[in-house]
Amino acid sequence: MQQPNKLTPFFENLNFEREDNTMVINFGPQHPSAHGQLRLVLELEGEQVVKAYPDIGYLHRGIEKMAENMTYNEFLPTTDRLDYIASTSNNYAYALAVEKLLGIEAPRRAQVIRTMLLELNRIISHLFFVATHALDVGAMSVFLYAFREREFAMDLMEDYCGARLTHSAVRIGGVPLDLPTDWLTNVLTFCDKVDYEVEHTYGALLNENRIWKMRLEDVGVISAEDALSWGCSGPMIRGSGIKYDIRKEEPYELYSELDFDIPISERCDSYGRFMIYMEEMVQSTKIIRQLTRMYKDTEPQLMAHAPQYISAPKEEIMTQNYALMQHFVLVTQGMRPPKGEVYVPTESPKGELGFYIKSEGEPYAYRLKCRAPSFFHTGLLQELLVGTYLADVVTIIGTTNIVFGEVDR
Amino acid sequence: MRKYTPKDNVQKHSYYTDRFWVAPRVPREAVAEGSHFASVVEAIGTQAKECYIEVGQLVLQIESTENFAVLQTLKEQCGYTQCSEQSAVDYLAQDGEFELFYQLLNITEAKRVRVVCRIKEGEAIESVVPLFKSANFAEREIFDMFGIKVNNHPFLKRIIMPDDWEGHPLLKTYPMIGDEFASWYEVDKIFGKEYRDVIGPENRDQSRIDRYDTKRFSRVGYEVPFGADISEGEKENPIAYSETVLVDYTQESGKQLDERR
Amino acid sequence: MAQHQVNYASAAGLPIALTSVDKLVNWGRSNSLWPLTYGLACCAIEMMASGASRYDFDRMGTIFRASPRQADVMILAGTLSKKHSEFARRLYDQMTEPKWVISMGSCANTGGMFNTYATVQGVDRIIPVDIYLPGCAPRPETLQYAMMMLQKKIRRESANMNNNTKQNLRLV
Repeated sequence: MQQPNKLTPFFENLNFEREDNTMVINFGPQHPSAHGQLRLVLELEGEQVVKAYPDIGYLHRGIEKMAENMTYNEFLPTTDRLDYIASTSNNYAYALAVEKLLGIEAPRRAQVIRTMLLELNRIISHLFFVATHALDVGAMSVFLYAFREREFAMDLMEDYCGARLTHSAVRIGGVPLDLPTDWLTNVLTFCDKVDYEVEHTYGALLNENRIWKMRLEDVGVISAEDALSWGCSGPMIRGSGIKYDIRKEEPYELYSELDFDIPISERCDSYGRFMIYMEEMVQSTKIIRQLTRMYKDTEPQLMAHAPQYISAPKEEIMTQNYALMQHFVLVTQGMRPPKGEVYVPTESPKGELGFYIKSEGEPYAYRLKCRAPSFFHTGLLQELLVGTYLADVVTIIGTTNIVFGEVDR
Repeated sequence: MRKYTPKDNVQKHSYYTDRFWVAPRVPREAVAEGSHFASVVEAIGTQAKECYIEVGQLVLQIESTENFAVLQTLKEQCGYTQCSEQSAVDYLAQDGEFELFYQLLNITEAKRVRVVCRIKEGEAIESVVPLFKSANFAEREIFDMFGIKVNNHPFLKRIIMPDDWEGHPLLKTYPMIGDEFASWYEVDKIFGKEYRDVIGPENRDQSRIDRYDTKRFSRVGYEVPFGADISEGEKENPIAYSETVLVDYTQESGKQLDERR
Repeated sequence: MAQHQVNYASAAGLPIALTSVDKLVNWGRSNSLWPLTYGLACCAIEMMASGASRYDFDRMGTIFRASPRQADVMILAGTLSKKHSEFARRLYDQMTEPKWVISMGSCANTGGMFNTYATVQGVDRIIPVDIYLPGCAPRPETLQYAMMMLQKKIRRESANMNNNTKQNLRLV
């Protein structure tokens, strides 16, 4: 016996509105390969999609509204829940935007740690992509292997900040903690492991796999012009042959000092993008190795010195009266950045993650807009899916690597 | 005395501001001669009311009616081929206007331009979907969140909130916890309005504890059965903790303990 | 063969015989809990992690099913938005009896940190919940513990318990 309610008790997922032999099929929002809560209304002619209508907003939580009602430091943990697969990249993008607004710069050790965490998060996110993309297409074993390595990375994150998923590992003006002992050795071991597994496990299982290639090659082809017009970024735009990586072109943090390559693919299809993801993991380990060497000759300062905006270190708060007063004001009222607006793009694992902040000189942001890469990649689906077969829909959703926390915000 | 909260902006405000406090401003720089941005300003010409560089990005303030023409010039003559973001800011309380911005990216030069325009309440803006397809979703979001109408948009419909939603959430007049309609939305939709009494209002106080509610809260030390009615006083049977035995080392017992060890 | 019309389920002497049936049925139910893959937000990633290689839920007989028709347990993993609430209820209605609900994470329990217009302030407003999991996001161990608690709960249930009264008790 069901509790009586107004909903149709036996709602079916298929809608056989047969007009001119087209069928309307409702895909999601609860679908194992909808990557969260994507709802697609597909119009099918036989097996072919003639019209696709992505319906989003099923995970809208009002994060931009919350930003207007929270002080700048209060809001930082909320950014974890945007792209929850790589939380630190969101924390970082937000912290960087506020830092640009304040006109401060994090000390060098904080920059090293942040860059390392960003790259570690990139690996976590890419491993997750490989796992779920393979699972969606039908390769279960890759999912199990990739999650095994992902757990090592999660343990590293947990060692650093205490959380597995929602890290909040970056603060405005620096990082809260120094690296724990043995962390650098562990991260180097992890890098070796990732390099090995990318080549010998996922690479060996997928790269030349006949079924994998049949499912991915020439599926979801985006021309360079379309990719630009639809606002694609990250691996989506590099998969279309445009070499644009914000880390290289508009370098932030330490990326201008690091040596790494930007993999691109001229294939414009899902397989090319998959190869980019695989190559980016190797590049990330290369960056982390360089950073571990840079870490050793940095000063131990972790937070920027800007008494107007950022609390002093704990021992100063405990010993000096003025530092304590500043800390009290900053905690109870929040920092007041100067009036103005700022848009800072960063390269998150999914693409261009930017924060637009409009400040009116109050401790609360007047307007905060999160430019999420996945939002625009979802918009692309309405054109990309047309003309493909129903079986390829899942591959195409997988290859866009959308996360609904940041699509709907 | 209850604090006055203005009705046209119900967002949170600082509870205390020093009366001599003047907020500084992020420095705005003039466009340098001969730079890439100077050529952009030249291409736009008189359509730009004001142009300056703020945090490394060129900001162009234009008339809202010229948004399509300006973006077209930027795209075709200056190489700004990607519209990476567009949205609005609500200034209805201060000026009765919305501020719209378009964030453009030039891939070859790695430069960014922000085009800013203002529209009055109730006015519509011209769609830029023919130039940038990414505007399709972004403009729908602006419509959904602010209620700004967009002319010539292919499919202007709510995108994030449900179709039957009332109100535009990012307006400053819309409270963060929502209005009456929002708080009963799911109950009305699933069970119908007559179930409002059965289910009760939303509890927005995260730290609320009702000591007489024995279904949702357990009473540590004074446990009662699930769902028991204790509104008329509960049974007094506190847990008996084991007593701590203090050993006096100066006396005989202390010696015994030491010997045992 | 006599076709007898005795309704055993309501007969007075039956419960004694049924206890051993209860045991058998509950043993079967509790050891093959098939949750619905109902990932809503961040907690879904932890739910996936608990299904994957390190935490390996399969060893507990927990196999994620994509269809509500084949699932016994609904794990509401993440924030339930108002737009989605109707679908959540519909999926719950589609699940076959007996069914249980685990509300995973603070967002599902009480709305959590998202005290906004768009979030359902606790899924128990629309669906009767058996187990609430605290945490943001709860670790896979927590989810595992919740599954074990749910197994304990199922083992205490009576096989012919009237589910409607149970539901009403829970909801109000």
